[in-house]
Amino acid sequence: MSEARIDGKPASLAAAAERAAEILSAARMPVIAGLGTDVAGARASILLAEKLRGAYDHMHSARIFADLDVMRQAGLMFTTPNETRLRADVLLFIGKDLTKIWPAMIARLSPAEIPAFDLAREPRKLLWVVPGRGGAKLEGLAIQTLDSSNLHMTLAALRARAAGRPVSCAKRVLRKLDEFVEVLNNARFGVAVWGGDSLDSLSIEMLHGLIRDLNKTTRFSGLPLGSDSNAAGVVQTSGWMTGFPVRTSFGRGFPEHDTWRFDATRMIESGEADAALWITAYGPEAPPWKKNIPLVALASPQTAFVREPQVRVEVGCPGIDHDGAEFSRETASIVGRLASHRSPAPSVAAIIGEIAKRIGEDASC
Amino acid sequence: MLILLKGGRLIDPVNERNENGDLWIENDRIVAAPPGRLADEVHDVSGKIVMAGAIDIHSHIAGGNVNTARLLLPEKHQNHLPNPPSLPLSTAKWSTFETGTIYASMGFTTVIEPAIVPHQALQAHLELSDIPIIDKGTLTVLGNDDFLLSLLREGEGQAAVTDYVASAVAGSNGLGVKCINAGGAAAFKYNARTFGLDDVVPFYGLTSRQIVEALQRAVEDLKIPHPLHLHANNLGIPGNVATALATIEAARGERLHFAHLQFYSYGAEGGHGFSSAAAELAAAVNAAPNVTIDVGQVMFGQTVTVSADVLRQFNGAETARPKKSVIHDGDDNGGGIVPYLYRENDFVNAVQWACGLELFLAIDDPWRVFFTTDHPNGAPFTTYPEIFALIMSRDARAEAIARLPQDAVAMTTLPSIAREYNLNEIAIMTRAAPAKLLGLKDRGHLGEGGLADIAVYSPGKDLAKMFRIAHLVFKDGDLVVRDGRVSRYRWGKALKVNPGYDKVIDRRLAGYYDHHFGVSRDLFAVKENLLPRADAFAEVACAR
Ligand SMILES: [Zn+2]
Repeated sequence: MSEARIDGKPASLAAAAERAAEILSAARMPVIAGLGTDVAGARASILLAEKLRGAYDHMHSARIFADLDVMRQAGLMFTTPNETRLRADVLLFIGKDLTKIWPAMIARLSPAEIPAFDLAREPRKLLWVVPGRGGAKLEGLAIQTLDSSNLHMTLAALRARAAGRPVSCAKRVLRKLDEFVEVLNNARFGVAVWGGDSLDSLSIEMLHGLIRDLNKTTRFSGLPLGSDSNAAGVVQTSGWMTGFPVRTSFGRGFPEHDTWRFDATRMIESGEADAALWITAYGPEAPPWKKNIPLVALASPQTAFVREPQVRVEVGCPGIDHDGAEFSRETASIVGRLASHRSPAPSVAAIIGEIAKRIGEDASC
Repeated sequence: MLILLKGGRLIDPVNERNENGDLWIENDRIVAAPPGRLADEVHDVSGKIVMAGAIDIHSHIAGGNVNTARLLLPEKHQNHLPNPPSLPLSTAKWSTFETGTIYASMGFTTVIEPAIVPHQALQAHLELSDIPIIDKGTLTVLGNDDFLLSLLREGEGQAAVTDYVASAVAGSNGLGVKCINAGGAAAFKYNARTFGLDDVVPFYGLTSRQIVEALQRAVEDLKIPHPLHLHANNLGIPGNVATALATIEAARGERLHFAHLQFYSYGAEGGHGFSSAAAELAAAVNAAPNVTIDVGQVMFGQTVTVSADVLRQFNGAETARPKKSVIHDGDDNGGGIVPYLYRENDFVNAVQWACGLELFLAIDDPWRVFFTTDHPNGAPFTTYPEIFALIMSRDARAEAIARLPQDAVAMTTLPSIAREYNLNEIAIMTRAAPAKLLGLKDRGHLGEGGLADIAVYSPGKDLAKMFRIAHLVFKDGDLVVRDGRVSRYRWGKALKVNPGYDKVIDRRLAGYYDHHFGVSRDLFAVKENLLPRADAFAEVACAR
């Protein structure tokens, strides 16, 4: 049975929802943070934020906006894991720990196999740009690596060489760059795979420029690995509901989006936000802020909080305890996940529904 | 609940009514005047126009590409207006909530999202679930999907193709089948940069023509009410009228819906190498009773083009304004998002604007020409009221034409066209004909037993205002709009067909997904319990 606690003491779900509603509606600027939840949970959270005139953010916003800011500045070209697996004759991996970010990456993209829809039916060429030599090993696969202590500079040099422009660097490095460029220029359907913290927006924008340039003569696209805890699914849900991604506020009665102003941690540390609803249905992440503010937590059971939240409800995990829709890295789309071990643990959406109906009028959404 | 709309002018082309009279509503239906009973609610609508709720057959209101467009352009939809507490997010620009609210306030009660690939269907239906008030539906996009192309390449026969189409439509809960630049997106993955009706998809050795023909046949065999909805090759290219004419010819007299025809009505005459060929194209449509079209009218202003025609969008990316675009090599079709500014003083844009109006006015039969902007590709749907005014008033057109570059006007026949749509023709084009085209027998008319989807307008000199601010709108008998203001949310259905087919194809598809994609096909299924409300769907019968 699911656990709910008020000030650390066991409570009924109804009492917990009541207390949560009191705390959140008493706040001047409540913020919904974490947002590790499925589409239904995100939807309920955004409607609650609207009701409370609060703000909402996702725990992986830094990574979300590394990619999204590039798209909003310059655009993007991207593809799916399915297309990558079936067509990519060249795979350009960028960044370290890609298989840690996505343990199933190799199984999913099958780099060792000849791409089924490639006309030439040749073995794939695998390239990896990564800081340090150790980062780019895949068991049993021949990979050309480019050791890069500065990904942005390396990508800029690759882009320049691919466009036939000179770069000033050591002969040995230039030879290596040109080897890479030779493969990139001759790709039939190349895919750049990137992820992780080692790529900032500037590097991603440079990579995007390289991809655009390559498309003048051949086909090339990108496969961003994104973040965990349904970050992309929450952004999608936020997109259709408000027009904006996360880091959006209803403080003035309509959605306003600003990646700096509505960063949940910043709002809390600065005192702008005076209560928080922390949501982590996928894993036991604790809130990242230090400041002590009234906290309602809908969290997975093992979450270790620095301070006991005023209200805490243990929630189930989408796709394990209950069915859920979420953005899947496997397919780069929103998919349905049926419960693998159905349990009575409540969903985030259900608990937020209980909280919301105790606040203001019911708008029947 | 018994409601009486008293003394309005009832315009109902299906029942050949255009006269003053009373209209009775009981619960969600239109009923005959009940003898001896008093209405619970009476609305005096004398002097008003009463029509069925309008139906939009082609408007991009949901799905991954639309959502990418929202996320691409935050600076283009900043908000200023708080929403009433009872209408959450109704003022959030470009949100699903705003979409339903604005459509309803203009008297639209059913809107079809025409471009959902099966792998995006769950997201599309989640989005549609958050569009309040109106009923919705999706068309399932096929024609660049590898499974279909491999069936055709292997010569597996029409029965297998038809079963596959049925399975894809049923699995994505679609209302019909759309085909977008058949084979073009697949060819683009092999670095094709142009793709015409008889060009061949590498790897598969199939022409666009063959793919369209197979899909057309499947739709007919399945008795899906809506004919194949085709986005043809060579969209937006000077001289592409040749493609449009060849495509009409290629339908071989079979039913075909030709989407946003305006974008295919271009000649290559004149000093700019760009001219209107709309008159010629309209004549071809007039002569082909098997063909229906929607216009895809262009209106001046900022918009964003959102299309699963990834090849065309890639080629159009250099015209992006603001200068950024997204090109997505997705499973099957993918898509491209290219922001665009249609300018009144731009030669090409002015010709495009005129082409659309020429099609509206030169195609004789209002049962075969449909009112669209291909939202948001030609213009956002919020421009509909101005377009009604333009097709209903020669004076309004003359005023607008006067503002255009006159060398552009000279490349069109628009100034010479005197026709003005009357309200009966508007009711055909936006109510009766769409219901017929989609197989929705329960709407599009004011006859007894019909769904009480009703729009009441206040006629006046300002035609645009009349259509922007509906006086009253009922959805399923609920009064949801008064003087253009939505009073409360209600939640409509997604309309879908459920064609019967031999389930053997599902087992083959399961194997194909496991082997090729390495994931289960079940992942993509639109399971009703994942949507926010129960009873999300209503089924439309497959019968012709
Ligand atoms: Zn369209």
